[in-house]
Amino acid sequence: MSTALAANPGLRLWSVLTSSIATRARLLALGALGLGAVLLGVGVRVANPTDRAQAAWSVVNGYGLSLLVPVVALVFASASLGDPSEDGTLVYLWLRPVPRWQLALSAFAASVTVVAPIAVAPLVVGAAVTGTGWRLVASSAAGGMLATVAYSAVFCGLGLRVRRALAWGLAYLLIWEEAVARISHGAARVSLFVSTRSLAASIARHTPPPRNSVSAVTGLVFPLVVTVVALAVTARSLDRGEVT
Amino acid sequence: MSAARPTLQVTKLAKWFGSVVALSDVSFDVGPGVTALLGPNGAGKSTLFRILCGLANPSQGTVRIFGEDPRANPAIARRIGIAPQQERLFERQTIVEFVTLAAILHRLPDPAAAAARAIETVEMDPADKRPLSAYSKGMRQRVKLAQALVHDPELLVLDEPLEGLDPRQRLRAIELFGRLGQEGRTVVVSSHVLDEVERFGSRILVIAQGRLVAEGPFSAIRDLMDDRPRHLRVGTDRPPALAAGLLSSEVANGAHVKDGWIEVETSDAPAFRRRVAGVARDCDARLLEVIALDEDLESVFAYLVGGR
Repeated sequence: MSTALAANPGLRLWSVLTSSIATRARLLALGALGLGAVLLGVGVRVANPTDRAQAAWSVVNGYGLSLLVPVVALVFASASLGDPSEDGTLVYLWLRPVPRWQLALSAFAASVTVVAPIAVAPLVVGAAVTGTGWRLVASSAAGGMLATVAYSAVFCGLGLRVRRALAWGLAYLLIWEEAVARISHGAARVSLFVSTRSLAASIARHTPPPRNSVSAVTGLVFPLVVTVVALAVTARSLDRGEVT
Repeated sequence: MSAARPTLQVTKLAKWFGSVVALSDVSFDVGPGVTALLGPNGAGKSTLFRILCGLANPSQGTVRIFGEDPRANPAIARRIGIAPQQERLFERQTIVEFVTLAAILHRLPDPAAAAARAIETVEMDPADKRPLSAYSKGMRQRVKLAQALVHDPELLVLDEPLEGLDPRQRLRAIELFGRLGQEGRTVVVSSHVLDEVERFGSRILVIAQGRLVAEGPFSAIRDLMDDRPRHLRVGTDRPPALAAGLLSSEVANGAHVKDGWIEVETSDAPAFRRRVAGVARDCDARLLEVIALDEDLESVFAYLVGGR
C-alpha cells in the first residue's frame, strides 16, 4: 500500500475492520464450509449422474446460495461492527471526525472482502469442476457476489443493533429465507435468496425456473436496493444510537 | 476557571436505564485546567463521561462542548481527546499502528510523526513491535493516553487513567495532566481514589449515586469530609470504664461496648486521637488499639449524599 493510500481514513478503517473479523478460527471453520462447495462439485463430476446439469445446479442453488454464502456473510458481517461494539473498541473509530456513512461503508467492505474469497470463490470453483459449462460458473459468480453484497449490508447493521446477532441472523435465514419465501409467492418477492437464485437461474438458463422465481431484473435490483437501504440504516444507527 | 465561555457545560443532565437512574440533575461547567471527577465505583462517572463524549444520549438535560452538542457534530471530535475506561484495544496492532490509526482518522498531515510524539509523551517505546495483547494494564493505560493526545486536543476526557499504573508512572501521569492544564487545555480526569485526586491539586467534582454532591477546590472538599462524624473502634482491657471516661471527658459524642470493644462516635477525630490515651490513663485502662470504621471513600460519599 502506498503512503498516500495508507494514510487514507476510509482505507485504514477497512483494513482494521477486515483484520479484526478475519480471525483464524472463523477462517478455518468457514473455509471448511467453502471447501464443501468444491467437494460437492467434484462429487457431481465423478458420480456423473444422469441429469448432471440438475445436480450441478443443486450445488450452486441448494448449497451455495441458500447455505454457504448467507451463513458466511452472517458470521463475518455481523462481526464487522458487532465485535468492536461488544468489546468496546468501536469507540476508537467512532470518536473520530469520520462520517458515520464512511464507518458503515468500511465495515460493509471489510465483510465483502472476506466473504468473497471464503464463500464465492469456492462456489465458483465448485460450479466449474462440475464440468457443465461456463453459464453455471457465471451464474454462481453473479449470484454469489450479489448475495454477498446484500447479506453483508443487512448483517452489518444487525451486528451493530442487536446482541446475539448470529442467533437472530440464523433465525431470519431459516424462517424467512428458507421457509416463508419458499412457500409464499408474495414473500418471495422480498427475499434475498429468491432474488439471487432467480438471477443465477436466469444466467445459467436453468429450466424449469425455480419455484416462486422473480424476473432477472428484479433479482438484480431488489438486493441492490436492500444493500443501499441497509447501509443507510446502519449509518443512521451509528449516528443516532449509543456506542458501547 | 477562565472568564471566557467554559469548555464544557453540563446542564440538568439525567440518564436512566429503565427504572435505574444512573445520573440525576447534574449541572456543572468546566474550563481550562485540571478538573477531577471523584466518585466511588458505580457512582455514574463513566456514564457521565460517555455522555460528555457523545457516546450516549442523555435522557434529560444538555451537554455543550465548545458551545456545541457533541452528538450533533462529529467534527467536534477533532478538539477532544478521550481515554475510555475499558481495557480492550485492537489487540493485534502494535502501539505505533494503534496510535497512527488515531492520527490518520483525525486526518493529521503527518500521522507517523504525530504518533511518535504522542508515544514519547507517555514514555512508551515506538520501536516496540509486540502486539497490544502482550501489554500489561499499565501499558494499556499509556497507550490509551497516547491515542487521546495524538491530535493535540483542547479538551481531554480521561476515565480512570491512573488505574493499573505503578507509583512512578502515576506520578509522571499526574505531572503530565498538570502540564497539559497549565498549557491552557481542559483536562477532566475521573478517579475513585481520594488520595489520587488530592495530588491533581485541582478543582473537584464529587459524584455519588448519580448526583453531583460537592464541587470546589480539593481543600474545601477535604474540609467538608473531615467535618463529618466519625466512628471508631477502641480496644482496651477495661471497656466499660474507658467508655464512661470518654463520654464524661466529652471527647466522644457517643460510646457503647460491644463484644469487648468500644464503638465511639466523635465529631472531631483528630482531637479524639490526641486525647484518648490520656483518658485511658486516667481510667487506669490499657489502650490496645484505635481503628477508624468509616475511613473508606464509600463512607465519605455516603455522608456527603446524606448531608444534602
